[in-house]
Amino acid sequence: MKKRKYPKDEIITFKSANEMPPLAVSLGSMRWNKTGSWRYIRPIYENKTPPCDEACPAGEDVEGVQYLCEQGKFEDAWKLILEEHPFPGVQGRVCYHPCEEACNRGHYDEAISIHAVERFVGDYGLNHGLIPPRLSQERGHKKSEKIAIIGAGPAGLVCAYHLARMGYTPLVLEAHPVPGGILRVGIPSYRLPKDILEAEIEHIIKMGVDIQTDSRVDRDLLLKDLKDFNAIYVATGAHESRNLNVPGEDASGVMSGLQFLIDLNLGKKIAIGKKVAVIGGGNTAMDTARSVLRLGSEVVVVYRRSRAEMPAIPAEVEEAEHEGIPIHFLATPIRVITDQERVVQMECVKMELGEPDESGRRRPVPVEGSNFIMDVETVFTAIGESPQLSFLTEDIQTEWGSIVVSDHGETSKKGIFAGGDAVDQPRTVAHAIGSGKVAAIAIDTFLRGKDTAKIAASVQIGQKGSVSMERYLRGEIRYNASKVVRFEDINLAYFEHKDRVDLPRADIEKAKQSFVEVNSGLPESAVTTESGRCFNCGVCNMCENCWVFCPDISISRKTDAFGYDIDYDHCKGCGICVEECPREAMSLEEEQK
Amino acid sequence: MRFQIPEHELMGPGHVACPGCGAAQAMRYVLKALGEKTIVVLPACCWSIIAGPFPYSSLQVPLYHTAFETAGAAASGIKAGLEIQGDTDTTVLAWAGDGGTFDIGIQALSGAAERNDDILYVCYDNEAYMNTGIQRSSATPWGAWTTTTPVRHFKNRPKKDIMMVMAAHKIPYAATATVAFPDDLVAKVQKAKTIHGTRFLHILSPCPPGWKIPSEIAIRLARLAIETKIFPLYEIENGEKYTITRQPDGVPVIEYLKFQGRFKHLTKSQMDDIQDMVEKEWENLLSKTERSH
Ligand SMILES: Cc1cc2nc3c(=O)[nH]c(=O)nc-3n(C[C@H](O)[C@H](O)[C@H](O)COP(=O)(O)OP(=O)(O)OC[C@H]3O[C@@H](n4cnc5c(N)ncnc54)[C@H](O)[C@@H]3O)c2cc1C
Ligand SMILES: Cc1ncc(C[n+]2csc(CCOP(=O)(O)OP(=O)(O)O)c2C)c(N)n1
Ligand code: SF4
Ligand SMILES: [Mg+2]
Repeated sequence: MKKRKYPKDEIITFKSANEMPPLAVSLGSMRWNKTGSWRYIRPIYENKTPPCDEACPAGEDVEGVQYLCEQGKFEDAWKLILEEHPFPGVQGRVCYHPCEEACNRGHYDEAISIHAVERFVGDYGLNHGLIPPRLSQERGHKKSEKIAIIGAGPAGLVCAYHLARMGYTPLVLEAHPVPGGILRVGIPSYRLPKDILEAEIEHIIKMGVDIQTDSRVDRDLLLKDLKDFNAIYVATGAHESRNLNVPGEDASGVMSGLQFLIDLNLGKKIAIGKKVAVIGGGNTAMDTARSVLRLGSEVVVVYRRSRAEMPAIPAEVEEAEHEGIPIHFLATPIRVITDQERVVQMECVKMELGEPDESGRRRPVPVEGSNFIMDVETVFTAIGESPQLSFLTEDIQTEWGSIVVSDHGETSKKGIFAGGDAVDQPRTVAHAIGSGKVAAIAIDTFLRGKDTAKIAASVQIGQKGSVSMERYLRGEIRYNASKVVRFEDINLAYFEHKDRVDLPRADIEKAKQSFVEVNSGLPESAVTTESGRCFNCGVCNMCENCWVFCPDISISRKTDAFGYDIDYDHCKGCGICVEECPREAMSLEEEQK
Repeated sequence: MRFQIPEHELMGPGHVACPGCGAAQAMRYVLKALGEKTIVVLPACCWSIIAGPFPYSSLQVPLYHTAFETAGAAASGIKAGLEIQGDTDTTVLAWAGDGGTFDIGIQALSGAAERNDDILYVCYDNEAYMNTGIQRSSATPWGAWTTTTPVRHFKNRPKKDIMMVMAAHKIPYAATATVAFPDDLVAKVQKAKTIHGTRFLHILSPCPPGWKIPSEIAIRLARLAIETKIFPLYEIENGEKYTITRQPDGVPVIEYLKFQGRFKHLTKSQMDDIQDMVEKEWENLLSKTERSH
């Protein structure tokens, strides 16, 4: 058969009847007919913020990680996380993962196992010896300003990491003999193995961060040695255990749970009794109790409210109970009973929940006459920690024991920034990481004389305060970051129900006898399947629906880049592409005519 | 989930279908599935306009305009002409609307089918005479408004079962399809292409102005037509063997009706009546499917 050709895409004019074909046959296409002029609304490609990204206080591109993992591009996924922070291996283990709570897929069947996927990616990076992504020569050129960071916890280290990427050489001063903050000295190794943390901190050091351990900053040092620093970031955490304020508390058998964990994590010998009570319902309480169990003693947790009010990560509570640790809810100690300075018993009273207090949780009130006595030899207090800020000068404002900061981590004193547990924010590693990022941006803009508030606002992810370092450092992509994709925005016709893949359950009997990591990770195949369940809310993944359904053949794949082009000469603005986009990665705009 | 429709385009932009036209999508998919060796035979219908005026065409295959009632006969003739020339592998595609198929063109179609002429006949069904301004056809569903069945006298006869009519001709292949399921549509065309004799494809094609719907929801409605079972996807081989190609979710039919202006006047109990008709037809189809396997 002859190859038919319609050479003409333009309007055809016949100057005389002779030029016309003998029969009414077509000689050209309809391409000359610019049906785009019919349009009064215009489809555009416009990525939006997935709810998981918005919910991540550390500002991770959660969706992007799922997208890459589905294709088995674990190296790229690792690098994508490293654009935001250097701790995927840590966070894949200890993060309280609010992303999963926010995940749209949760309204359909079950949320994506984002936490487990992150752990796989973190381990993949370490096992394959990957190197953190570097910035361009231009963006990351060496800068001479001197920056000091006080405290090598997640907040301080993340701030240092990003400043180093930007070309600064920050000096980190850490009181303990090892860096890592609570990650190193608080969280026990059965939850976060030391080698994972150390390997990730190594990446930060290699980036050009100078960490000086055994260097506690006091007021003297602050005023003298740090005098000529251009910026200081205070990230000293909250390590002062609150007192029980009950008689007998001074006995040697009553100790701070956090201090116990610190000693344990620093390899010190600690003598504890055979019967131990831990007071409190937070992460410190859970970690203390589970560590005591592993040291071979009998342990009970006493918490004055009910399970619903426990501030500990739910998974931690679940694991503690799984290991057989009894939690005595709605009870509080009122007296520690000693015999010749040795703790022998503890008197408690039962509580009931009354009106909500300023934290919104129901206030526990003692039940008259409900006192009871329990035999204990050691009591660990874990009812909360406060920052230790006596080294700060008075011109740095504090309130309720925390440093007062702006949304960008600026204190009341110019050039001094603060974040993490030392300021008033939720006490989580993710928030500490997020505040370290914001501070790095604030310090950079401050040193470069730029408008911090304006720039920070331009790199926000959604409405909850997280920022994208990738956007800050690598420039703006067209992206409607303030619009967050909701479940109603997803076109469910294009998804099938599929079970979530969870972390395998640990062998508890073995786990509770040692400090070896309790949970194992997911295998690679499970990770690709699981991330394949992701809706990719708000982000084009080139699923082709727009191209498939266009009645006007006006959508084509880009030849040189990711995504599609719309032929606005012919697109009639029917809106089908926008409607059939499964993930709200397109929008309709009114035509300006 | 990703669609797997062929890359190659045989239809170009600039055609004059209304925004969101299902008939335009249907042609695009069918030509993708058939490829270049295709001749389209087109009786009077919206598509006679969509393709474009002389001396232009939005299709890159030959297209033969013919009279309203003649799609079947003209296609048979063209096929015979090609055969005489020794061309046995060009598909002759009769492409007609529901008016040109269910009503005025039915005798030409029936003749071709009875002779089992080697043509592929596609009826793109927008459920009324749309090109002349939304008049009732025998494909218009029960309860629908058209300009000739105004609200007070909405159509009170059921949609003609054209598939059963075609099955009665014992043709080798007949199938339903719609534009919301391009993979299913393309697969059916490709299957039909491998078969000789009269093949019939009934494609439900949403028409935004005729159905009184916003153009952007055209695909959603085509999908709902299947999921509500008002337009099931199935095949009939040799007039006997019924196969359902997509199991519907079983969404209540009101979910389909409520978005369409042409059904706006219906009361709840009338919609329930439609639901009953749908259930009955579906049971019918199921039992035919069971019996034939
Ligand atoms: C036992 C425990 C378990 C936890 N588990 C989890 C968990 O599973 N998931 C989660 O999300 N969150 C958890 N948290 C909370 C989380 O660890 C903290 O919110 C987070 O570590 C705060 O980070 P940061 O950098 O602000 O402070 P930190 O991690 O506390 O680090 C502060 C660092 O500053 C150093 N420092 C303090 N003062 C000085 C000084 N004057 N000079 C020099 N250095 C100084 C400290 O030694 C420390 O290394 C847990 C907390 C505790 C206590
Ligand atoms: C014999 C004859 N009668 C009437 C017409 C006018 N006419 C042209 S298209 C059309 C309606 C076609 O309806 P249908 O086949 O359903 O196709 P649609 O326009 O809906 O796509 C009519 C009545 C005609 N062209 N020829
Ligand atoms: S489905 Fe994917 S993109 Fe959507 S919220 Fe869940 S993880 Fe994020
Ligand atoms: Mg019609």
